[in-house]
Amino acid sequence: MVNVTADSNKPQEKTVNMSPWAIARRKFFRNKLAMISSFFLLAIMIVSFLAPYITTQDISRVNIGQMSLEPGGEHILGTDKAGRDVFTRLLYGGRISLVVGISCTALVILFGTLVGSIAGYYGGNIDTMLMRFTDFVLTFPFLVFVIVLNTILFGIVDGLWVLIAAISLLSWGGVARIVRSKILAEKENEYILAAISIGCKPSAVIIKHLLPNVLSTIIVQATILFATLIVAESALGFLGIGVPQSIPSWGNMLTASQEADVLRNKPWIWMPPAIILTVTILSINFIGEGLKDALNPKSFR
Amino acid sequence: MSTTETKQAIRQDGKVVKDTLLDIRNLKTYYPVKGGFLKRTVGHVKAVDNISFEIKKGETLGLVGESGCGKSTTGRTILRLLKPTEGQIIFDGKDITNITGAELRKARRDFQMVFQDPYASLNPTQSVGSIISEPIRNFEKRNKEELKEEVLELLSRVGLPPEAYDKYGHEFSGGQRQRIGIARALALKPKLIIADEPVSALDVSVQSQVLNLLKELQGEFDLTYLFIAHDLSVVKHMSDRIGVMYLGNMVEIASNESLYAEPLHPYTQALISAIPEADPKKKKERIVLQGDVPSPQNPPTGCAFHTRCPMAKEECSKVKPVLKEVKPGHQVACILY
Ligand SMILES: Nc1ncnc2c1ncn2[C@@H]1O[C@H](COP(=O)(O)OP(=O)(O)OP(=O)(O)O)[C@@H](O)[C@H]1O
Ligand SMILES: [Mg+2]
Repeated sequence: MVNVTADSNKPQEKTVNMSPWAIARRKFFRNKLAMISSFFLLAIMIVSFLAPYITTQDISRVNIGQMSLEPGGEHILGTDKAGRDVFTRLLYGGRISLVVGISCTALVILFGTLVGSIAGYYGGNIDTMLMRFTDFVLTFPFLVFVIVLNTILFGIVDGLWVLIAAISLLSWGGVARIVRSKILAEKENEYILAAISIGCKPSAVIIKHLLPNVLSTIIVQATILFATLIVAESALGFLGIGVPQSIPSWGNMLTASQEADVLRNKPWIWMPPAIILTVTILSINFIGEGLKDALNPKSFR
Repeated sequence: MSTTETKQAIRQDGKVVKDTLLDIRNLKTYYPVKGGFLKRTVGHVKAVDNISFEIKKGETLGLVGESGCGKSTTGRTILRLLKPTEGQIIFDGKDITNITGAELRKARRDFQMVFQDPYASLNPTQSVGSIISEPIRNFEKRNKEELKEEVLELLSRVGLPPEAYDKYGHEFSGGQRQRIGIARALALKPKLIIADEPVSALDVSVQSQVLNLLKELQGEFDLTYLFIAHDLSVVKHMSDRIGVMYLGNMVEIASNESLYAEPLHPYTQALISAIPEADPKKKKERIVLQGDVPSPQNPPTGCAFHTRCPMAKEECSKVKPVLKEVKPGHQVACILY
């Protein structure tokens, strides 16, 4: 009995002077699945971004002598129909997929949070206008927009950035709505009135007081978005309207499976990107779940 | 301002003449009610409907009334946390009714608020040190050590240990949180503090500690209080004068003694009769009000109280009584006087 109370006292002592963030961090570190997923994702990122140091194979040169080689020997994962090393393309492809995923997520979160927090904080006409605009963007046909933008900007801007811009410009609406509704609820708290009455500017009220308190929602949204956007990039790549075909990405690599012969008889060409894509998305989702648990608002009150 | 001020000054002849710090004239605050699918304004909640009063420097004006009668709205409007619909707010000789932006922010250092809910009034992501130093940081440039020293001083002044500096709101009890809120309000050394039911969310055992703290601080920092409560016994302990609100209207204002000795408005009489008597021999008759408080969206015509008033006459539903002085320093809004 004595032991039990002594034990149960220990963690409480530790919580003293801990910011809600520190508490959340500790909770997250205790979540095994989320931690394993984090390490996995980190590993994928490191390996992808260090691709030029890991493999020296050329990613784009067509090699007629080595078409569709099975895995083994010089090519660990074999070669594709143009004779390019699958392993090398997988690494470089991860780089592109992750860059697209990360930059789109960052831009979408940034823009969505900006619009949502301004609309939610000011309310009234500003809110009405911004939300009308958001609705308009949300109803925009995504594929058409991407194709049109790609065509207009083809050759003027690097294809990768066109894709990132197109995805970002069309995807912030959901975040804006969620952030707005969170801000609307949060600003009813008296600490917001307190912040105004101690002379904080509206920008300070939003940045210092409102956003930190809706940040948990934003972070969870970001993980969901990150997974969704990587899939979106792959889907566009698969359809042939994503990243230019000359650049390898996981989506572009999957395009090969459109051929029945490749799909049935040469799984080493499309299985690696499919598997790595699936596992990456899964681990991002596990991280998201872990964050959601750790950032439970109960630990903030 | 001048007419009322001179009147007060003459009346208080012999005593220390205190200046008016806050002068509220015909203040109205309506909340729009949106309806229909186009979200048009279909009506108004008349939360504060034409009230006037003043507070002199160094004084405590208590504001009482049932839940929903517009006390918080009054307080928040005075501090310009809400936009007044009509009327005038004169603070320390300056009309602050319509100032905005940087000018309003600058004016805010002289009037602060202590909030009702100690759990919702502290930002959960901010440390106590940051909460209390923020008002100072907003107005003045200080180096880190000076700032910390000042915050520690404030902490000790409101009865919190220095260790509180690095802690977060969730590590404190309601009473301690309220002390943090008081320290925040005090940080800028304001002239006026509006305390909006500062103890109603606290355990009875800590209520009087917090009330006593507020009293001590008043003397020490030369504070003027607008003290809001829904409970007359709390207000009695704190106030020099008391204003009684009903459905967005001020029905009676009088000095503490005068109001308890001789409540004039039937509503005030009912409120006072409901205070439990400590001495069981002093039996008094409790006036029980009939019916519910009407909706502030659609208040009764004439006197807002006439639907529940035991002494209502036919006229009461037609003429809206105005606040008038029936005895020195005792104002009431009722046609009986
Ligand atoms: N933001 C708002 N929008 C619409 N109506 C409101 C709003 N805030 C308050 N009201 C209404 O205005 C009236 C006065 O509210 P207020 O909060 O000022 O009352 P109160 O006297 O402080 O009550 P309590 O003792 O419960 O704090 C109430 O009828 C309330 O429903
Ligand atoms: Mg209130």
